[in-house]
Amino acid sequence: MKRLMIVLSVALALGGQTVAFAQARPDFSGSWRLNVGKSGPNVAGNTPNIPFPSQIAVKQTPTDIAIESTSVRQQPVSAVYKLDGSKVSVQAPAGITETGEAKFDGENLSISSRRAFSSPAGDIVVEFKEVWSLIGNVLTIQKTRTQSGDSTTEKSQAVYDKL
Amino acid sequence: MRINLSFAAVALGILLAATASVQAHHSFSATYDGNKPITLRGTVTKIGWQNPHAHIYVDVKNADGKVVTWEVESAGPTALLKAGLRKEDFVGAEIIIKGFLAKDGTPTVNASSLTLVEAKKEFLTDEKAP
Repeated sequence: MKRLMIVLSVALALGGQTVAFAQARPDFSGSWRLNVGKSGPNVAGNTPNIPFPSQIAVKQTPTDIAIESTSVRQQPVSAVYKLDGSKVSVQAPAGITETGEAKFDGENLSISSRRAFSSPAGDIVVEFKEVWSLIGNVLTIQKTRTQSGDSTTEKSQAVYDKL
Repeated sequence: MRINLSFAAVALGILLAATASVQAHHSFSATYDGNKPITLRGTVTKIGWQNPHAHIYVDVKNADGKVVTWEVESAGPTALLKAGLRKEDFVGAEIIIKGFLAKDGTPTVNASSLTLVEAKKEFLTDEKAP
């Protein structure tokens, strides 16, 4: 009986830790608007380096995160990522094929995606990596972009305010 | 009456010039696809050195060996000169362009950065929309 009590106590303690760990994940749910003034250079405007969406809508559950990105006069891009890191298809505009995966790395959300489209220069494949972090009502996204066949990587950072 | 006609002609000229300027100074989002970034490497064959945007024509070889002439919309001459790039630096030079494809599918790109390979000069466009 005493041994059973110990086992149950340990199980409860471990279960509690798991719940506490799961709760430590930040919740990115909400509507977010790009704050150009607080973001890095060339994230928007006439000649963006890495363009960031002007608005992002996020719905997060313990297992999934749904993200819809919109920008002025640009086709929206949306995806429902499994938070276990498994690959999903992204709903991209016509002519673009995109897959991606998302997972938490501590308190940060990491999203990797691979976008393919055709162009007059042939087929183009671009890889994006994003790291999302949350402090209060401020969302920061660090993004890198690498094109296949190009050894250089573009990096930029954007800040979003919660609406 | 003759004076009025002269005024009308001048006014029309100004109006047409202003219209052309507005058409030339279109927004990124109307013309280019922010979802389609691209990096190109090729040789400059011609440059249109005019405001509000310089237009650089670049021959780029595809993977299949076919050469396609791209039109690259860049910042205006003033911004390029400030960055130390002169008109004479371009024609014949090997260049790397990072930018975004035109929405209409033509070989047209909006440049966010230009790198003259031999001179190792990179120009990062940092114009902002008004």
